[in-house]
Amino acid sequence: MAKALKAVGSLSAFWFILPCLLTLTFTSVYPVSFGLIVSMTNWNWGNQFDFIGFENYLGLLSDSEFWTVIGNTITFSVSATAIEIALGFYLAVQVDKLKVSTELIRAVLMMPLMVSGIVVALMSKVMFDPFLGIINHLMRVFGMGPSAFYGAANTAMPSIVAVDVWWQTAFVFVIMLAGLRGLPNDPLEAARVEGASEFMIFWKISFPMLQPLLLTVVIIRTIDTLKVFDIVFGTTGGGPGLATEVVQTFVYRTAYSYQQIGKAMATMILFSLLILLISLALQSLQRKVESS
Amino acid sequence: MLRQTGMANFQKIWAYLFTVGMILLSLFPVYWVLTVSLKSKRDSLANPPLWLFEPVTSSYLKLWNHDTFKETFFNSIIITLIGIVLSLAIALPTAYALVRLKLKGKNLVGIWLILAYMLPEFLFVLPMFSLYQWTGLYDTHLGLALMYQVHVLPLSIWLLSSFFREINPAIDEAARIEGCSHWQILTRIYIPCTLPGLVATAILNAIWIWNELAIALGLTFSNAQTVTLGVTSFRGYAALDWGAMTAASIIAIIPMLLFAVVAQKHIVKGITLGAVKG
Repeated sequence: MAKALKAVGSLSAFWFILPCLLTLTFTSVYPVSFGLIVSMTNWNWGNQFDFIGFENYLGLLSDSEFWTVIGNTITFSVSATAIEIALGFYLAVQVDKLKVSTELIRAVLMMPLMVSGIVVALMSKVMFDPFLGIINHLMRVFGMGPSAFYGAANTAMPSIVAVDVWWQTAFVFVIMLAGLRGLPNDPLEAARVEGASEFMIFWKISFPMLQPLLLTVVIIRTIDTLKVFDIVFGTTGGGPGLATEVVQTFVYRTAYSYQQIGKAMATMILFSLLILLISLALQSLQRKVESS
Repeated sequence: MLRQTGMANFQKIWAYLFTVGMILLSLFPVYWVLTVSLKSKRDSLANPPLWLFEPVTSSYLKLWNHDTFKETFFNSIIITLIGIVLSLAIALPTAYALVRLKLKGKNLVGIWLILAYMLPEFLFVLPMFSLYQWTGLYDTHLGLALMYQVHVLPLSIWLLSSFFREINPAIDEAARIEGCSHWQILTRIYIPCTLPGLVATAILNAIWIWNELAIALGLTFSNAQTVTLGVTSFRGYAALDWGAMTAASIIAIIPMLLFAVVAQKHIVKGITLGAVKG
């Protein structure tokens, strides 16, 4: 016991952290371990539970549907993240310039962030309805042709990206506004006295100082958009065809509609490895930026 | 010089215009869905869509008499409360130990928290189904609140740790000399000193739990269905019943919007800190 105590540090530290370790073991270590086993079986939620080695993994890697789904997920993640970062950061810069109290403005702009993904999805279905939706009506008023939005393969993915942009841009905005507000005033003032234009001050002073924070937000948004589920599940359900099928809706369908839990778990594990790789790559990029 | 001030003025005006435009874009969908929820069935199917109409409350009355939806709303309240209590009860001592106590493998715990927070929901939820059925946790409020810890616990620990770090460690030492145990230091000094931070943490957890869908979809069937699933149930016949679907959406949003108005500062603090720590 004394040895064990020495190993963790102190007795209180052990008791203080034990509930957390137990909870995380139950909610993460157990499912991932059991999931690894399941991914090597042909389990169908029932009695069929045979060990089949890496068959699920090999099957996925040679399945064009799997690669389409991975491609869709990355397309969604990259486009949504890029637009949200650009728009959210730009909005923060603009709001930072305002000479009025911005508390209420921030509260209103944050509102989409409070809405659950599935509600956002259903709201967008009402607005994007090809026949009765307000968006098509407004587009007609401005002389633009009606769009099928979720109904056609070429417009479904852009529609979902647009919905995510409406939903999550405020996240980037809130953090970058806090970053802008937290910048030290002296270098900015000095540059103004020197007669530098606001544009130059932003690019030469503010932006470099905010870069690490911006990259953090990029990492968070990238991972979050890779995990997209609610807004696809609630709108297209992955269709038309496979046009908007992303990993988590694909896994949901595989596990619950087709009862192929082994294949679903194998997908989840490959996908988790991909997320890990992407986040490690982004983090090393961030370290490079911070050290330079 | 004149040109420069003209430019500066234009930039100022543009900042206001752009902000107003973004505010309108943020508000409009919620406003529009609210109007649809207040339209009679005939008005909601009008083409072109109506801007002016006679508001009716029939959709909300229908929901009020819709026992399943009402149940999901109250389920969500219970699950959110259990989830908050669990996360704070577990995260408070953990954060204290990570910040102030001698503990080996702190880095390992840190990596574990990041992984739990970062990896996708179905990785954890799919393998839980059989264990949940076997232990009787399936389709219970407690079972769902417990599974939510995989996400809210890491966030809570990060937030609370950063609040605890602001406390001067000299205070602990003084209290130790007075004979206080670590538990007493946590409950009598740290918790009272960081109450606003605790509230911010609880609110962020509440927002996340209230809005969660994937885990609830995997681990509940009827008794513990959450409001997000209640809203989802209107998805199927959406084309026919916009009234119920939009009214359900509005009802599901209202508690969170109240939060946003009342606790904006806390939420901003939590989101910002969570991003920097996580």
